[in-house]
Amino acid sequence: MPPPSGPGQKFSLPGVKHLIAVASGKGGVGKSTVAANLAVALQMAGQRVGLMDADIYGPSVPLMFGLGQVDQTRTPFPLEKFGIKLMSMGFLVDPNQAVIWRGPKVAQAVGSFLAQVPWGELDFLIIDLPPGTGDAQLTLSQQAPLTGAIIVTTPGEVSLIDARKGVKMFEEVRVPVLGVIENMSHFTSADGQKHAIFGTGGGAKLAAEAGVPFLGELPIDPRVATAGDAGEPVVRKYPDSPVSAAYVALAQTVLREMVTRPQANALPAVEF
Amino acid sequence: MPADLLPLSIKRDGVAFRVEWSDGLVATVPFQKLRDHCPCAGCNDERAKPADPFRVLSAREVAAGLPVPVAMKPVGHYAYQITWNDGHDAGIFTLDALRHLGQPVAPSKDTHAPA
Repeated sequence: MPPPSGPGQKFSLPGVKHLIAVASGKGGVGKSTVAANLAVALQMAGQRVGLMDADIYGPSVPLMFGLGQVDQTRTPFPLEKFGIKLMSMGFLVDPNQAVIWRGPKVAQAVGSFLAQVPWGELDFLIIDLPPGTGDAQLTLSQQAPLTGAIIVTTPGEVSLIDARKGVKMFEEVRVPVLGVIENMSHFTSADGQKHAIFGTGGGAKLAAEAGVPFLGELPIDPRVATAGDAGEPVVRKYPDSPVSAAYVALAQTVLREMVTRPQANALPAVEF
Repeated sequence: MPADLLPLSIKRDGVAFRVEWSDGLVATVPFQKLRDHCPCAGCNDERAKPADPFRVLSAREVAAGLPVPVAMKPVGHYAYQITWNDGHDAGIFTLDALRHLGQPVAPSKDTHAPA
């Protein structure tokens, strides 16, 4: 079933079945890594997937997919890599150049990524949000038919404080939170022992507090970073690693959620 | 407000909207009350100032007369944006606000099965 796109939705994406935002409160928790690997895992599960990088100031999608700036006049967007349709600010500007923009321009760019890029027929469009609760988030939740949001956190309290704000924001704008995923949960050393480097239980605690599902733990694996930096997400490069298994499980949970979850109803049009 | 509490229909009824909520409540929200509670930054600012007994209406306000919405569009899953006959359209009214500004009316007989 297509997501609701009522008469007031500025952007209706009739070909996109599920529009999922990957968000966090704090930066540096691995949102982009989670978004990229979730997109790849869903694609490997046979879904048609797009990944939109809504982080205008610090786009990460180009690096993670081994791409860079392209000639806008010759390249049709979205780009495609590993069977995933991609759009990012990083395709439009030199990676060494800073995007120094005020909020309204960010909102405009996010809007045009959604509305002017021909996404075509997709089962999932994953949106990699910038950290925080600012312009990009507000634009998307006001104007796009979001199916739901996934909150990424690390186990520590510092990350949780801000992740709570993320959950609160989606509640305020009535976008369903699909659940909380805990990144960088633990590190398994060569002797098989688990080390909780950033603390334990944060993700589960936040999920319980917010009354949303806990979607699981993603272990620390240095290969996640090296694969990302080398332009091939870890799920694809090391499909047999434990962290990849965790991403595949996350993708399966998301797929199941989409089947069981009742679609949020579009607001009725006003009759004059 | 619980996430599954939604308006089922919003209809103009004289100088008010008649809102039917998913929990069965039917309420009217007068246009004047909505206009007085416009949540935009400009109106919030105006309300924060002490009332000016000598306020002069702008030509536009005079021409518009009583506040009447000319459009009311859903915003995402959580609010409606109203465009008024005086041109003001900055206010985004959350469902919460609509619910709180409403005055419950007795449900009309024809919409309910006879007891």
